[in-house]
Amino acid sequence: MSLQAEFQVIIMAGGKGSRMPEITSGKPKCLLPVGQKPLIWFPLNNLHLCGFTECIIVVLDNQKHEVQSTVDKFNLGIKAEYFSIPSNEDLGTADSLRLLHDKLHSDVLVLPCDLITNTDLNSALDIFRTHNATITSLFMKPQQPDAVLVPGPKPKHKPERDLVGIDVQTSRLVFLASLSDFETDVSIPLGLMKKHPHIKMYSTLVDSHVYVMRNWVIGYLKNEEKISTLKGEFLPHIVRKQLAKVPQKVEEANASIVDSHHSDDIFSFAKEDDMKLLVREMSAFNDHAGDSNPTYHGDCIRCFAHITDADEFGVRVNTLPVYCSVNNKIIENWSKIVPNEPLVLKNPKADIKSTQVDDKCVIWEGAKLKEKTSFKESIIGSGVEVNSFSRVFNTILMKNVVVKERVALENCIVSDGAIIGTGTQLKSCLVGSHYNVPDQSQHCNEVLTDVAQLMEF
Amino acid sequence: MYNKNEIIHKGNIVQAVVVADEFEDKFIPITNEVPMSLLPLLNKPLLDYTLEFLYLGGVEETFLFCCSQVDMIKEYIRKSIEASAAWSLNMKIHILVSESCRSFGDCLRDLDAKGLLRGDFILLEPGVVSNINLRPILKKHKEVVKKDKGAVITIVYQKAGVGQIGRSAEDDIVVAVDHNNRVLYHKKTRLLEDKRIKLPVEIFLLSDEVSMLHNLKDAHIAVCSSSVLPIFSDNFDFQTRDDFIKGLLMNEEIMGSTIYLHLIRGSQYGGAVTNWQNYQAVSWELKDRWAYPLVPSLKENNLLKDNVIGNGTIVPHDANISRCVIGNNVVLGKNINLEDSFIMSNCKLEDNVTINLSVIGNSCTIRKGSKIIENTVLGNGVNIDQNTILKNQLIQATKPDFCEKEDILGQYAFRLKPDEDEDEILQKLPRLHNMKESIETSDDGFSDSDDENLSYTQSPVLDDTKLFFTEVIDSLTRGFEDDLQCDNLILEINSSRYAYNISVKEVNFNVIKAILHMYLRQPTGQRYFSQLLSYFSPILKNYIRNESAMQDCLQAIEDVAITNEELKENWIVFILNWFYNENYLSEESISNWGRNLDQSAKFSVQVKPFLKWLEEADEEE
Repeated sequence: MSLQAEFQVIIMAGGKGSRMPEITSGKPKCLLPVGQKPLIWFPLNNLHLCGFTECIIVVLDNQKHEVQSTVDKFNLGIKAEYFSIPSNEDLGTADSLRLLHDKLHSDVLVLPCDLITNTDLNSALDIFRTHNATITSLFMKPQQPDAVLVPGPKPKHKPERDLVGIDVQTSRLVFLASLSDFETDVSIPLGLMKKHPHIKMYSTLVDSHVYVMRNWVIGYLKNEEKISTLKGEFLPHIVRKQLAKVPQKVEEANASIVDSHHSDDIFSFAKEDDMKLLVREMSAFNDHAGDSNPTYHGDCIRCFAHITDADEFGVRVNTLPVYCSVNNKIIENWSKIVPNEPLVLKNPKADIKSTQVDDKCVIWEGAKLKEKTSFKESIIGSGVEVNSFSRVFNTILMKNVVVKERVALENCIVSDGAIIGTGTQLKSCLVGSHYNVPDQSQHCNEVLTDVAQLMEF
Repeated sequence: MYNKNEIIHKGNIVQAVVVADEFEDKFIPITNEVPMSLLPLLNKPLLDYTLEFLYLGGVEETFLFCCSQVDMIKEYIRKSIEASAAWSLNMKIHILVSESCRSFGDCLRDLDAKGLLRGDFILLEPGVVSNINLRPILKKHKEVVKKDKGAVITIVYQKAGVGQIGRSAEDDIVVAVDHNNRVLYHKKTRLLEDKRIKLPVEIFLLSDEVSMLHNLKDAHIAVCSSSVLPIFSDNFDFQTRDDFIKGLLMNEEIMGSTIYLHLIRGSQYGGAVTNWQNYQAVSWELKDRWAYPLVPSLKENNLLKDNVIGNGTIVPHDANISRCVIGNNVVLGKNINLEDSFIMSNCKLEDNVTINLSVIGNSCTIRKGSKIIENTVLGNGVNIDQNTILKNQLIQATKPDFCEKEDILGQYAFRLKPDEDEDEILQKLPRLHNMKESIETSDDGFSDSDDENLSYTQSPVLDDTKLFFTEVIDSLTRGFEDDLQCDNLILEINSSRYAYNISVKEVNFNVIKAILHMYLRQPTGQRYFSQLLSYFSPILKNYIRNESAMQDCLQAIEDVAITNEELKENWIVFILNWFYNENYLSEESISNWGRNLDQSAKFSVQVKPFLKWLEEADEEE
């Protein structure tokens, strides 16, 4: 008999990066460079620090090869298994879990590929363990906003905000909704207040999309095919289900009728072990004080939340502003976020002839920086070539970008394989992958990309 | 060097305002003769606790605002000072009289006109019993005012779990505060529509963290800035403190005034006597020393098990008394039964009297064998004749202005009938708790409508017929549980029918189906089933009227039988038999239906014996 792992870890890397299509159109989102590493390295490193040795990475089938070849080089001691999902269907996170159903035998820890944090995941896992929770999610205190210049035209989207209600005494997650769902009033049933007489409602927390879930939840998702995403649909649903009454059991003679009637009911999945219930009933432990209700109010569905400390770092890199800001901060926060690996600003395998590279630049391996070039606060990806008399300020150059001579780039993001023509000046621009910027161009606050790629907008 | 603080301190002595009257007649008929503030609480006037609390809390000057029976209060204060009550040593008391005031708000407006208060002051609503140290709260209020110029009032609440007896349903409240404890939302739960709390979304947009509190008990204490009184004067429609809070929250921009909350925890106790339920709760909490150092005086009381007995009262051995407070010099006869009741001084209870969950005023006489139960309140000096039974009534000794003959119970006993519009208030009046029974297990909340809201992913959208069907089931279940008239149920069903635009055929089909389904949900047993069917017989009669309705009915039976295969075989025979015997279904219709059945189906095999029997019976005839 092989030992079953307590948790199976799933990293969701099958997103299309639809909130920042300008830079993810030609590249898997999880491979965007952040500091000296691709994005997905950060959650993997976090898992490594927590002691995990295995994980399943969900990828789009057309990106599997690229992701796999990058991740396999990380050498973090985590055995990754890849699970590809069709890229032509728009599948959500819950859909992915549904497809993975057969492989999941333990409780599940789901992480997004775009999470950069130094929070110890064990804190969320421990709440899950302590309370035998159905689902535990990790919320992050918002980072101090910084005035970061975002390249490209002014963003149209307002940031999404959630309204998160957490019972102060027990850490139960009791309310979850998107703030934009409310027009004038937020309506809360009085019954919720009676059950949880002190609820803190947070409106600025960032959902890390880290979820720890009981195995039966996967079975329920398998059954409920209409639920497509965890965050948007499943979580609010199950949070509200905590309040719902458990349908009464009916006498033996008719039990089978009712079972067939309620077989898709969430409570038939959530049923707890009789022995555990008995132990709970006989134990002196109660999760709350102040009323005479039983432990957990007798709920079989229990959602919990853990909020990171204010001084912990935690962001989800899913929009352009966050991507820009995290690249600004990553160098100074590196030792905090990645205590186990030193920051390497200039990769020894890079060919740096330039004398003007300030110490806020990160140069990846295989980059070629010619003489008489100047770099400030920039990230230069692998295989990038920057020719003489060019300057690159506050800019991200991804893989294999070629910058010709006498180019001035300021506050730009240039995607894979783009070529910047001679004498070009770009300020606050986004350059799509493999796009050729003609010689002598001048642009400001624009998105430069092939028309075909623009379709994604 | 001299102490600077002391000088400042002397310039600002701590002032308190006590409004001594409640204006809602909650304690009639007892308060017809005695002002509410002199109501005995464990055989000591309520006011005494309030003043001692203020004195212990650090107040140096108190304004006592009285509107009725002022002489009695004046006399009491004079006597207390003569007897050098503890609070009289270091605290000045001014009695302010204004008999024209009709509300709490009127009192404050009057106070504003008198211009007696200078700085911050403590404001007490009537009936406060507490041991809170007020100085730190005053200090905190001053600090808040420094940061927020608009802060005018800090209201004091005690943390108390849901279901504590000290929390009366009247004062049950939900408050939302931000991280500075500024009040953003404040609403009594009894005023909520359909038991949902509706908070303006701006609250959440403006502050990152909002605490929603429902674990609160109102201490009826507030720290006010001097601007509170002018605000009352400017808004003559503010009658109560709640009006004031509501007004400030609604018009915050206009008035620029903000409200803060102070939560007391731990050993500090805040309570108030605002109705009989609170009166009972505060009595027990005082007895159990929750409000230490305010405790029942042992000089004046004897504790006998769970009762408090006044001086000069002798409890006979055969008396059965539990959870009661009995005043001074009460004469008790033989074989007396008292439970959860309050009996004030100088009463006389003769043999075999039973009193349960009731309040008996001063100097009442209750003759042999009387029973006074369920929230009856006797005013002072009432005489109850032998073997009278009083249940949930208000009795006073003097004849009210309008009094019908039936309300005269004796020379000194008149039933007090509330005015029509007061009737509601009286019904809502919180009553004494039966301490033996567990406290309300109210069903708030997670109503089915909630559940429906959740169901966005649960089941496919129901079509109208299905909705109609579920509604019928709901109506019938409720009707059966609450024992409602079937005629009303028929009305309900018909209105659902029009709401969903359902054809007659479908109505018949669904109603029968619903009744049969109810059987499936309930514990089994054919006896029970006949009971259910007989109960609904008016409904059956109403819907099964003609041949085609009979066919619908049979269809429904067939449908239920086929979809629930686990049913025992004889079930269907039993049903058919019952419908046939009760003349809902004619022989003809059954045999017609039987002929059209698919002969090979399991169902028809089950029905066969019955059909056969029917035929034979026919032939025999």
